Amino acid sequence: MSGTRLAKWVVAVPMAALALATIYPLVFTTNVAMKTRREYILDRFSLSDSLHWDNIVKAWTSVGMSRYFLNSVIVVACSVALLLLLGSMAGFALARLRFRGSSTLFLGILAALFVPFQVIMVPLARIMGDTGLIDTYPGLVLAYVAQFLPFTIFLMTSFYSTVPPEIVDAARIDGNTVYGVYWRIMLPMGTPALLSVGVLNALFCWNDVLISLLMMPSSENRTLMVGVTSLRGQYSDDIPTFASGVLIAAVPVLLVYLFLQRQIADGVTAGATKG
Amino acid sequence: MTGRSPSPVGPASAGPTGGATITAPPRRPQPARPSPPRNRRGPGAERLAPFVLLAPAVLIIVVLRLWPLLLGVNFSFTGDGDRNGMWVGLANYLTLLDDPLFRTALRNVGLLVLLLPVAVAIPGLLATFIYLKVPGNRFYRAVYFFPAVLSPVIVGAIFNLLLAYDGPLNAALGAVGLGPVDWLGDPDVAIFAVVGVHIWATFGMALVVFLAGFSTLDPSLLDAAKVDGATLPQTIRHVIIPSLSRTIQFVFVTTMIGMLTSMFGLLFVMTGGGPEGSTYLPEYYIWVQQGQFNQPALASAASTALFLIMLVVGLAQIAVLRRAGKEE
Repeated sequence: MSGTRLAKWVVAVPMAALALATIYPLVFTTNVAMKTRREYILDRFSLSDSLHWDNIVKAWTSVGMSRYFLNSVIVVACSVALLLLLGSMAGFALARLRFRGSSTLFLGILAALFVPFQVIMVPLARIMGDTGLIDTYPGLVLAYVAQFLPFTIFLMTSFYSTVPPEIVDAARIDGNTVYGVYWRIMLPMGTPALLSVGVLNALFCWNDVLISLLMMPSSENRTLMVGVTSLRGQYSDDIPTFASGVLIAAVPVLLVYLFLQRQIADGVTAGATKG
Repeated sequence: MTGRSPSPVGPASAGPTGGATITAPPRRPQPARPSPPRNRRGPGAERLAPFVLLAPAVLIIVVLRLWPLLLGVNFSFTGDGDRNGMWVGLANYLTLLDDPLFRTALRNVGLLVLLLPVAVAIPGLLATFIYLKVPGNRFYRAVYFFPAVLSPVIVGAIFNLLLAYDGPLNAALGAVGLGPVDWLGDPDVAIFAVVGVHIWATFGMALVVFLAGFSTLDPSLLDAAKVDGATLPQTIRHVIIPSLSRTIQFVFVTTMIGMLTSMFGLLFVMTGGGPEGSTYLPEYYIWVQQGQFNQPALASAASTALFLIMLVVGLAQIAVLRRAGKEE
């Protein structure tokens, strides 16, 4: 028994070191963001003598970060709303309604899950160009919805499969149409699943750079992550401002993580236990 | 049952009960007969309901995911520039094989496959320790998972600072007497640096998946192992690995897919494919051919090649792991 306890402490040391290695990069970046340029050049490791919020203000105002931030908020909000609506509709139909070809459809959607964006990006850009959707909010929203819808449907289907069929039957007997069952019963019942899937989708869309780089070529339409990639060039000699811009882009994600950690983990693991 | 009784359809379900059989038959057709005209609209619309609910999703998936896949394969057999739209057969694929950048990209895929067991073993071991309740396990779980929610762009930007020649990592190496390493400037080192950062950023995701797998593990197996006096390595080998074979399989496949398709942000920010093209991966090659050199047909050929690689790697992994699972 004492042997196992000792073994536990022996692995605890590398685990603590790894935890430090996980946290330190963000601590370092935050500290750099709070320094003046002079302080950074003289000593990049010491704690900043005071908090210099002006770097944050400078990053926010000077290279259009505020505009990019707004673009990201609009696109992510619309994408997630659409994903949840379409995903829950389809998930409910696949899990709880009987109709011919339902399993074939489900398999088709599952197959779409395994098509990576890199494989379809060239033709997709052409399709978006031909329909005039390139470089527009709806175009990017559609691209995100197409990218993350199979995953959303998959999770919503497996969630609705756990809802007892009696609930649907009872609601039908009470005089609800199928749409009524969806809107009044299934949608409210699915709130925990919708929250998990919604948070995860919001993170995917917010963090994406490739899709938005391809779909939003003009500089004023950039999303925040694409904005971050252009920061380095702008501030190659002003690292504290660069670090501030990175923090601005990271803080919303960190806040979401702090409050919704459990929901994120639930979404990530929902597919795993089913294999 | 109680929920059903107030509903108008109630009488029909009351049919089988002995005493009601006489009164039920005349009643049954009564509500049924006036309803057909009404019901016809009802069930007709109702029968369409699944398709109405699914239509928007299916339309989007077919038009914006499956159709482009076919379009891209077809596209890869046509020419670029002057020969735009002309059938060129396998010319693009031959160009790819001749291109040193694409060959480097393929070589790096091979490297990723070799590093894959490391990327799976680290979160697997950590999950085991957390499951066995190392002191502070909850804290570790939360801390390890957090980089997984950060964008690759943010991670890449942060590590640009950390891996700089005069940055913290080289300072730490200097403190223990090791020379500075040009992490992102040395062609022999850069790809390992980028993959290392990718593993740093994603092992928390796999860790959480492993922990979900552990939650399905039968604790009595572990107790039995403890009673039999099994050591930790023995327990891992004979109890944990066989019980979690499904989860391990899932993590292998998703980690490989992640390495092949979600390092773009890191490459874009950290190296831009350099130095000397040493950090190219197929996905980055596709982006460069499409975005910078305006060679969509060649990019499509690379896309198709990437898809085939993923298919082969995925299927091979499933086959190997399935056989390994059976032998245990």
